Amino acid sequence: MAVEVKKQTQFTMVQALRSALFEEMERDENVVCLGEDIGPRGGVFLVTEGLIDRFGKDRVIDTPLAEAGIIGAALGMALRGLKPVAEIQFIDFLYPGFDNLVSEVAKMRYRSAGQFGASMVVRSPYGGGVRGGGYHSQSPEAYYVATPGLKVVVPSNPYDAKGLLISSIRDPDPVVFMEPKKIYRAVKSELPEGPYEVPLGKAAVSRAGKHVSVITFGAMVPVAWEAADKMKADGVEVEVVDMRTLQPYDTDAIMQTVAKTGHVVVLQEAPRIGGYGGEIAAFVAEQAIEYIEGPIMRVAGHDTPFPYALEKAYMPTSDRVCRAIKKTLNF
Amino acid sequence: MEIKPFTGKTIKCIEYDGKPAVDLTSLGIGPERYFEMYRWLVFTRAVDDRGYILVRQGRAGFYAQTAGQEASQVGSALPLQPQDWMYGDHRSQGSQLVKGLSTAEWFAHILGKSLDPTAGRSMPGHIGRNSLHIVPPSSTVGNQITEAVGTAMAQRIKKTDEVTICYFGDGATSEGDFHVGMNFAAVYGSPCILFCQNNQYAISVRLEEQTHTKTIAEKAHAYGMDGYLVDGNDVLAVYAVTKHCVDRARRGDGPALIEAYTYRYGPHSSADDDTRYRPKGELEMWRRERDPVTRFRNFLESQKLWDADKEAELLAEIKAQVAAAMEEAEKSPVPEPLSVFDHVYEKLTPHLEWERKELAAEMAAGAQG
Ligand SMILES: Cc1ncc(C[n+]2csc(CCOP(=O)(O)OP(=O)(O)O)c2C)c(N)n1
Repeated sequence: MAVEVKKQTQFTMVQALRSALFEEMERDENVVCLGEDIGPRGGVFLVTEGLIDRFGKDRVIDTPLAEAGIIGAALGMALRGLKPVAEIQFIDFLYPGFDNLVSEVAKMRYRSAGQFGASMVVRSPYGGGVRGGGYHSQSPEAYYVATPGLKVVVPSNPYDAKGLLISSIRDPDPVVFMEPKKIYRAVKSELPEGPYEVPLGKAAVSRAGKHVSVITFGAMVPVAWEAADKMKADGVEVEVVDMRTLQPYDTDAIMQTVAKTGHVVVLQEAPRIGGYGGEIAAFVAEQAIEYIEGPIMRVAGHDTPFPYALEKAYMPTSDRVCRAIKKTLNF
Repeated sequence: MEIKPFTGKTIKCIEYDGKPAVDLTSLGIGPERYFEMYRWLVFTRAVDDRGYILVRQGRAGFYAQTAGQEASQVGSALPLQPQDWMYGDHRSQGSQLVKGLSTAEWFAHILGKSLDPTAGRSMPGHIGRNSLHIVPPSSTVGNQITEAVGTAMAQRIKKTDEVTICYFGDGATSEGDFHVGMNFAAVYGSPCILFCQNNQYAISVRLEEQTHTKTIAEKAHAYGMDGYLVDGNDVLAVYAVTKHCVDRARRGDGPALIEAYTYRYGPHSSADDDTRYRPKGELEMWRRERDPVTRFRNFLESQKLWDADKEAELLAEIKAQVAAAMEEAEKSPVPEPLSVFDHVYEKLTPHLEWERKELAAEMAAGAQG
């Protein structure tokens, strides 16, 4: 298994994540994984496949079915010097451990005035477009972003997924690492051999353009690209900014792209009200209004629970993004 | 004296009048250890009384007294070693002091002063000390249980000789984290001592309204763990049972649940009015007949190990120690306002830097205007 991982150069996101875990566990014996079905089953999406054969069940820990236990125990492990990487099977099921995460993990450093830190990662697949219904499709980043003490990271491609996961594991603070399950296997990218870091807190311009900025993250990045392709026909060059880390976020990258284009569309999969896009829009309004030449648009999921049969009507599409782009440009 | 789980009887070493209830030689401890225990009982009570006065003087916003539960706390903390870890709840100060917490730091914590190792970040009763392996308690009842179990799992995975003790109240046993934690602890055979201070009330809710089992100890059955019911006002019994469990856990024989049956004297906290729910005479009966401090003094006297002179000497010494600690705490400054941004993350984020600058500017403007 391990040998195979090392030889290949084209990786899906699942494979990229697995190689990050594998290499970090090789590097540091304190790194342990815990979660439901992550042992011989390899996790329901197979991210941890093969890890137990290499590292054994003390470091690849199949847990009882209790998220409060996974998060609480991970914190206790982190305090005692392990580097736990907890897997929550679907982020929709993090709520039984929500209290442990937002009341304890997030606040341990603060409450202890820096005496204890919770260096740990909570990995979990999120997002729709996989016919998962309401309990296997949500994008709850806003809760975690609104919790000081947590970092929130969302990769959009295999290269970033590996580098960001490695950075998250090495980070001294707790990271909620949201994996866009819709693109777990959708694309492959070329990965260098061995571990590398993609820094937290840094956005990427994933496509350069000069007329309008689409600021987004995770599984919506490909949707933004699609919109950018469509807008070319109208002579509009779209810049796509991939936030990658939602908290703490890259304010410089936002300032730069806004200064360049003067038009902003924020794109997220989660419902609009109280969503992350609102934070970006507010930041632009507060700090960069002098560059703004049209309304700051939000493209988001509807303000409804996530529907099963009507998933297509729910998910933001490139056409919706294009309409928002036209609206801000034609203001 | 044989210590067995699930006997249906409360484990006890000394009677209410102080006479030995069992043959004590098997405990393997002598007068020096007895004096140490007694000193801690008296000291914990003195520190607690002083802490409560701070609330009554309006110098602290909140305080949860530990009075009445000294034997549970002292007896369970004494068998621990420096390398062991401690998770408490809002009523664990006796155990924390025995584990090594400085009294001056404890008072500074109540007063919200810089000397508080947690820098005034939490209301009184939430102190922690990394160097002593004392994790700051959470307010959320029960959350510490899964964490403590995680620490014990790490202690096993890292093949250490350490154990973790976790304190919680009877009310906490209704929370999910108790059940999840018990299950995790048992499944992984982690060296965790789950110590329930059953003071019979969760604020106003009595034990029989909290649970339909007769005891808390018997709940351990359901998780495949040993459960012990001990007289929580008998410091020797608490010590003996906890030591038994600590030794087993350290040997690799896994976790245990201990229920210490005790009683709190004060209201739930300084914000509570316990006259609304306590039956008449109950508190007075416990104070008069079952007090853990008096009971142990009676024991010492019955063994001809203690007298009025020794008592007076001890009280004077403790009084001076408490006063000195309080003086040190009072001298400490309040935390500097801009430190409010420290330790959210290891480093300030761009947003926090920005907010810090704003507050600094506001403060400067305020100072001028
Ligand atoms: C989850 C949660 N619910 C409610 C409260 C409010 N509260 C604080 S202490 C307490 C009672 C705790 O009782 P117990 O666990 O028996 O401990 P004791 O205070 O008796 O020592 C309650 C209801 C809280 N802090 N956390």
